[in-house]
Amino acid sequence: MTAERDRAERLADEELMPLIGAKDPEAFEVFYDRHGGVAYSLAYRIVGERGAAEDVTQEAFISIWRSGARFDRARGSVRSWMLSIVRNRAIDMLRSRAGKAPKLAFDDDAVLEQRPSEELTEEEAMRRETAGEVRDALGGLPGEQAKVLELAYFGGFSQSEISRMLGVPLGTVKGRMRLGLEKIRGELAEGLT
Amino acid sequence: MNDNDHARWNEEVAAYMLGALEPEQAAALERHAEGCERCQAEMRWLTAAVDAIPDSIERVEPLPELRARLMAEVRADVRPVQARPPKRRWLLRPAIGFAALALLVAAVLGYAIGGDSGGGGGDSTIVAGKAPDITAEMVNEGDSGTLRLANVHQLPNDEVLQAWVQRDGEVEAVPALFVPDHKGRASTQLPDMEGVEVVMVTAEPKGGSEEPTSEPLITIPTS
Repeated sequence: MTAERDRAERLADEELMPLIGAKDPEAFEVFYDRHGGVAYSLAYRIVGERGAAEDVTQEAFISIWRSGARFDRARGSVRSWMLSIVRNRAIDMLRSRAGKAPKLAFDDDAVLEQRPSEELTEEEAMRRETAGEVRDALGGLPGEQAKVLELAYFGGFSQSEISRMLGVPLGTVKGRMRLGLEKIRGELAEGLT
Repeated sequence: MNDNDHARWNEEVAAYMLGALEPEQAAALERHAEGCERCQAEMRWLTAAVDAIPDSIERVEPLPELRARLMAEVRADVRPVQARPPKRRWLLRPAIGFAALALLVAAVLGYAIGGDSGGGGGDSTIVAGKAPDITAEMVNEGDSGTLRLANVHQLPNDEVLQAWVQRDGEVEAVPALFVPDHKGRASTQLPDMEGVEVVMVTAEPKGGSEEPTSEPLITIPTS
């Protein structure tokens, strides 16, 4: 491992961004190694094909490489920003495919390779624990709440489109979104106490 | 702002956080939230829930090739390329002749690459390629442009794509290198298109070159 890589690994995401903005490849490599997996998983979850998910992930990370300096710390975490870039690109790809419907089930059979356990960092282990709580929270949502969250987040549909698709009033969709998110948030808050 | 006004906007916050508002609705909510601490607080509270959703999906690890491709493109980007090398006239006359023919062919065939060509509303020129099967689309937006290629063959690990522009008969390097994805698509930004007559792409050694070292894979006249 190079000294540059070693130095970059000690930095938080927010500290890596100025380095990425200054075109430091080691900082970018560390950033990809931290988040490439979740980014690819999200892209795959939305577009449903490995090749397309790779394209989305590559485009998103190259966009970050070329615009890293534009990250605004005041608007949230780097991870959140990165995931929004991946999601937006994946949704764009989904929309560009005429007639391609998003996958709608939370349970995904397409689990392929898993990262070897020795590569799990403490932070990653905590995140996976949180992921379990979130999965429980999502699984515990009433079906109609889970469905609107999924259609919005993974399908990229607007609340008006969801209202028409499900044949329920717009106000009902808004209410289900709010209740669903608040329940997940509540579970997260409980997990921290 | 009264409570009714706030309540009307506040009920849109969850949809906003999920990206489920129409763009104009989202923009209006953002304007409202700028002056509404309660909506800001609601957004902050729900951010953690939205950010957690990707953690709920099963992890699918990308193939190592994705990382290798990404890092090759990143490292190719690092070595600075001289933006305007010394004046040099280079292989352009025959290239322009071929490109004009290619443009005619493309116009006759009406061929376009990709499903989102023309995005952004810029002028679009589509040209068939010199190298077998390569096609290109050049989208101009103001003084900048985007070059999109399709059907590019996979490059050896030690090569990258490099774009060049011709202005007043002089060839200049574009300071960004790029590589094709696994489907043979590649794109790059051309930040300064003012006065550009021709855009070319060559395969160059990793890190780029100060002047073309191989024949163009494709040549695109822009005027």
